[in-house]
Amino acid sequence: MTTHSTPMKVREPVVFTGDPAAGGGRRRGGSLATRRTRAGYGMSAPALLFLGATMLFPLVYNLWTSVHQVEIGDLVTGDWAFNGADNYDAVVSEGAFWHAARISLLFTAGSLVFQFTIGFALALLFVRQFPLAGLFRGLMLVAWLLPPIVSGTLFRWMLDADSGAYNELLHTVGLDALAHNWLTDPSTALPGVIAANVWVGVPFNMLLLLVGLQSIDPTLYEAAAIDGAGPWQRLRHVTLPLMRPVAAAVLLLGLVYTFKVFDLVFVLTGGGPVDSTTVLPLYVYQSAFKLFQLGRGAAAGTLLLLVPLVVAVLYVRRLRKEGAAA
Amino acid sequence: MANRANRPPAAAGRSPLGRRSFLRISGSGLLAAGLTGSLTACGGGGGGSSSKNLVWWDYLVEDARQPGIKALIAAIEKNVPGLKITRRTFPYAELEPAIIKGAASGDLPDLAIIDNTSMNSLAPQGLLTDLTDRVKEWGQADAYYKGPWSSGVVDGKTYSVPNNANCLALYYNTELLESAGVEPPKTWDELSAAARKLTKGSTFGLAMSAIKTEEGVFQLLPFLWSAGADLDTFATGGATALSYLGDLVKAGALSKQCVGWTQQDVNNQFTSGRAAMQINGPWQLPGLKQQSKVKWGVVPIPVDKEPASCLGGENWVILKTSGKADQAWRAIEYSQRKKPLAAYLGSVGLLPARSDMADSGDWATDPTLKVFVREFGNARPRSYGEHYPQMSKAMAEALQATLTGSSSPGAAAKKAADAMTPLLSK
Repeated sequence: MTTHSTPMKVREPVVFTGDPAAGGGRRRGGSLATRRTRAGYGMSAPALLFLGATMLFPLVYNLWTSVHQVEIGDLVTGDWAFNGADNYDAVVSEGAFWHAARISLLFTAGSLVFQFTIGFALALLFVRQFPLAGLFRGLMLVAWLLPPIVSGTLFRWMLDADSGAYNELLHTVGLDALAHNWLTDPSTALPGVIAANVWVGVPFNMLLLLVGLQSIDPTLYEAAAIDGAGPWQRLRHVTLPLMRPVAAAVLLLGLVYTFKVFDLVFVLTGGGPVDSTTVLPLYVYQSAFKLFQLGRGAAAGTLLLLVPLVVAVLYVRRLRKEGAAA
Repeated sequence: MANRANRPPAAAGRSPLGRRSFLRISGSGLLAAGLTGSLTACGGGGGGSSSKNLVWWDYLVEDARQPGIKALIAAIEKNVPGLKITRRTFPYAELEPAIIKGAASGDLPDLAIIDNTSMNSLAPQGLLTDLTDRVKEWGQADAYYKGPWSSGVVDGKTYSVPNNANCLALYYNTELLESAGVEPPKTWDELSAAARKLTKGSTFGLAMSAIKTEEGVFQLLPFLWSAGADLDTFATGGATALSYLGDLVKAGALSKQCVGWTQQDVNNQFTSGRAAMQINGPWQLPGLKQQSKVKWGVVPIPVDKEPASCLGGENWVILKTSGKADQAWRAIEYSQRKKPLAAYLGSVGLLPARSDMADSGDWATDPTLKVFVREFGNARPRSYGEHYPQMSKAMAEALQATLTGSSSPGAAAKKAADAMTPLLSK
């Protein structure tokens, strides 16, 4: 098979490296390089300052809050008592935190599996040219462009048990047995929320995977066909191996996006019934803004960041290894 | 994420020294930004007393209420010489977070009209000005209903003056009750029988809010109190109230969807004829009077052992960071004089918390308003101290666990009681 020699070529258009300077001859030393570096920093300073103010500062502020005893009154007095890991202790010893972590994992895993498979299937469909393909692809993007508040409200209405479109439809076709109180039954609220999130996330997956598919060299398929490979074999032995790097990037981005979803769940169920859809971001929000435990909320927020961070580090390592091997 | 994490190693390989100095520069830049931030915060916290502007926050955002509030502000400005009021409004759910953010950034108002449950968390936090001496000198505390007044008293000190009060009652669809031959219920047994009898087709007998927020707890508490219980006896009394409501859901007389309904959703069910009775507050009266789809009446919430309703409403507070407490107090004091109070409460559709006004104006003549005003005598505030938000969460979860059938009333009540007991004694 030809697969092993080409993956790097395929990855280029999709992967977000975009550091064109990295390749150039740089070690020429002397004043030119120094001057160049200085000019480079000068030019990127506005962007770096912006990132510092909007991303680094909140992160550091959050970390700082998470190691102090802070309630609303303390915000005014500025009297923050350092309490080490107390907030973290309190958070990890609370059953509700681990429950939220479990819900978050289920929500993320469920969303990713379906978003990715459906997105991939649709990408395979749209990579073929057929009439109105562009129109349909554009329509699909609507789901992604809608604000989460709107999608959430839409699904809340559709899944409503007494007057929702979903149950109404089942009733019309005589399948009343399948009608269900999706969002108000604790055992099905999470699947209901996942379904809404899958609907929101499919276009994003489809689009990125489609770009990956389009960048596969068509001559590879021709060669495989000449060698006698059927459609299934071409998918299994040409498409899938070549799509691996793209798939990894899509899944990683999906994981980061999904793990932090707040608004959609907030609108759909507010974390209920009981606590069946309380994902971690919702738990953090409740600790800080509903129960007024700002230090604890900050600690939980930091822990919430860990998962995507670990995954991102693993991914980058893998990328670098692949880069070194190539 | 992948992209950013990808970059530093490359940069480090190139010129470690440059990177370090970059960190130093950006670090001091950030520090400077942080310092300016806290300096402005101090300025704001000090009250900026040079200006005579009094900053006022509230969440009374409904269009119909704006003329009344604007008139009140104009009257205060006229009555207190030299006073200028700058008003800022928030949606209901945004006011508390805005106060938290304001506390962090030093941008807090001088006075605010807040939900009376917020007193639980804000007063012990030292965010509010102690009004005890001013109130004593003023001498009108006795003119208020006991419930609303005591919602502003924390640890023996007075932190607020009630602006208005509300509570819950039972609305019923006159036509549906007549055609089913049902009288408006007075007791739990009658309510349960009526709700079952009125449930037909797509119409449920009763609608109430059991959403997982304070709104759901607001609706649960009358049942808890009416069973003769309170938060410290939730394990038993809570089980009684929860199993009563759970049975209504099991019988199909109360929709399971109520665990997702706000009180506004409940009212929509009622006005669209999908619920024959609803539990709701007086803020629905103006809307109900305007619509003509449903003919309705209102009675007190049916009683088990003792009559009970939950007290809602808004209180005036002066933030502790304000440098203009005296002016703010004069504004509050003016707003509570009977004549201007009657004028603006009437125009914005709110009910007075002063018992000496119950026999004046619409409150004495309108039979539906009278039901609520009389209920104030039975309405209790939710004054449970600083940890009330956690207790509220525990009760909301118990309510939802029971109504969705994921837990028995007894087990749900016990779990909530276990969570609340240590908080109550704190």
